[in-house]
Amino acid sequence: MDVFQNLISGFSLILQPDNLFFCFIGVFIGTLIGVLPGIGPVGAMSLLLPATYKVSPLASVIMLAGIYYGAQYGGSTTSILVNIPGESSTVVTCLDGYQMARQGRAGPALGIAAFGSFIAGTLALIGLMLVAPPLASIALRFGPPEYFSLMCLGLTILIYLASGSIIRAISMAAFGVMIGCIGQDPETGSSRFVFGIPDLLDGIGLAPFVMGLFGISEVFINIEQSLKGSKILETKIKGLLPNWQDWKDSIKPILRGSVLGFFLGILPGGGAVISSFASYAIEKKASKHPEKFGKGAIEGVAGPEAANNAASEGAFVPLLTLGIPPNVVMALLLGALMIHGVTPGPLLIPKHPEIFWGVIASMYLGNIMLLVLNLPLIGIWVQVLKVPYKVLFPLILLFCLIGAYSINNSTFDVAIMMVFGVVGYLIRKYKYEGAPMVLAFVLGPMLENSLRQSLLLSDGSFLIFFTRPISAGGMIVTFLMLISCIIPAFRKKREEIPMEETT
Amino acid sequence: MRTHHRVGSIFWLVIGIYVGISAYRLGIGVFSQPGPGFIFFLMALLLIILSAIDLGITFIGKSKVGKEKTDEPLWLGVRWYKVLIVLVGISIYNYAFNFLGFLLSTFLLMIFLFKAVEPTKWWVSVFASVITILLSFGIFKLWLKVPFPTGILGF
Repeated sequence: MDVFQNLISGFSLILQPDNLFFCFIGVFIGTLIGVLPGIGPVGAMSLLLPATYKVSPLASVIMLAGIYYGAQYGGSTTSILVNIPGESSTVVTCLDGYQMARQGRAGPALGIAAFGSFIAGTLALIGLMLVAPPLASIALRFGPPEYFSLMCLGLTILIYLASGSIIRAISMAAFGVMIGCIGQDPETGSSRFVFGIPDLLDGIGLAPFVMGLFGISEVFINIEQSLKGSKILETKIKGLLPNWQDWKDSIKPILRGSVLGFFLGILPGGGAVISSFASYAIEKKASKHPEKFGKGAIEGVAGPEAANNAASEGAFVPLLTLGIPPNVVMALLLGALMIHGVTPGPLLIPKHPEIFWGVIASMYLGNIMLLVLNLPLIGIWVQVLKVPYKVLFPLILLFCLIGAYSINNSTFDVAIMMVFGVVGYLIRKYKYEGAPMVLAFVLGPMLENSLRQSLLLSDGSFLIFFTRPISAGGMIVTFLMLISCIIPAFRKKREEIPMEETT
Repeated sequence: MRTHHRVGSIFWLVIGIYVGISAYRLGIGVFSQPGPGFIFFLMALLLIILSAIDLGITFIGKSKVGKEKTDEPLWLGVRWYKVLIVLVGISIYNYAFNFLGFLLSTFLLMIFLFKAVEPTKWWVSVFASVITILLSFGIFKLWLKVPFPTGILGF
């Protein structure tokens, strides 16, 4: 009963004009950047992070969350119409979605993608609502060693799922922790790696760091290529409502994708990407006509689209209950909340119920908005696809520049952003991963605090991490995962996992 | 590709050594009372070990790293100089921002960005620049109340 009362109070908050407006802006921008192949949710969220400083914590999270799950909707449009995935989580949608479009069934493909995402999003929200509060009450018993081992585990899973060399992914995480800890030492007050620059005493800001690493570097990577537009399939999009047979073929994949996506989304790493690929594989196995997959099977669109949307909402569970972001997007949300003095974790629900239930209610409403935005307005999104990148990139750059400046009204933040823009560009060129660096950057100060507190508690003994059951469990899994990367059979398996591209 | 691989590893090795030495100087403390440099020292140690292994891999037999092609060029066939041009343009913009003010400096930057990377017609560049500036001025200055510098123009 409490759940429903809380949900109603969440709805009363979200229905306030301000929050409603930010919810709309979030899902609108999410769809837009999902459609545009040149920029992803992380880039867009980091771009808009400074704008959220001026609004309430609830409004900022509503908007940023809207961008995230809105991008999953929008990404499917480019996958189906252009055969270019707007998001890495919609790569698999290209396989059957584009084939459907070529057969003149772009409408049902787009329709089932939107309806599937809506159903999965709603089911995942029910899961989030039911799972998060009990998990948060268990997490209240956690101490510094438990947090330390869970953060290590989260980072390790992200590293494990990063594409390319695991050695380089761990190196990036180590560098991320270093960057995150720059500034004054919280215990002694001594300055660390500030090089005599007063602006660095408070540390490097999340927004300029991420905007540089993802927003600016993405622009650099794109402009070094020839800026030619994508060829859009010239087909008339008609009949967006899937027919009875389409529904019959799709409903089970949608339900399976929702459950799979939600649980994979809770795990740290690229939940949305992995779940979409896993769903595709499951549907192909479960189908009576697996030979139709890759040739325009609607199940191949419905399942993965449902899975990636459910995963994007499942990812909120560890953030809102444990305060541990499972991926870079959630790390950005964590940063946005902390800027407002709200610390996500087990105390979030008792201390700030308005944020938890407000976000939940906003997602319900956001899903409905997305349905309205994606189906009747599909023609507009197709036109957006035609905007040439040579016109788009100066706008992205300008919004990054102004966004970085507006944080502290200082050109220093702009310079920091540009430095990390170059760093991001170079690490991409040299095949290093940015995602572990960002997650480690956000977790770095928390990781340091919990490590130091744990060592103080144990009088310097590292055994404290192995004598408490939850902490020991986390550490053992962490070590097993790292060791498995050395074993050839496991290493091969790891290389087969579809990897997250965080842009 | 192996050369690029080595360059990357050496770079992180140097960073690791530098941070390690600086962290030691900051004070790493003891396990029962970790100092301000403790976490940096741990991470530097990790970075040194990993980049040394990564570097070592490039010298051992055939390159197995990431199934990279040995002859894949990193800077050939791409327009890296365009990145450099944009970077220089933005650095000048950032330097002149307070002096020229938001409107003038941003207008010049936008024209530069529209023209420098890909040839764009003048009227498109000017029109798009004006629209963008008006939009960003409305959002950031009027709505979000960001105090932009007025500069030499005085507005």
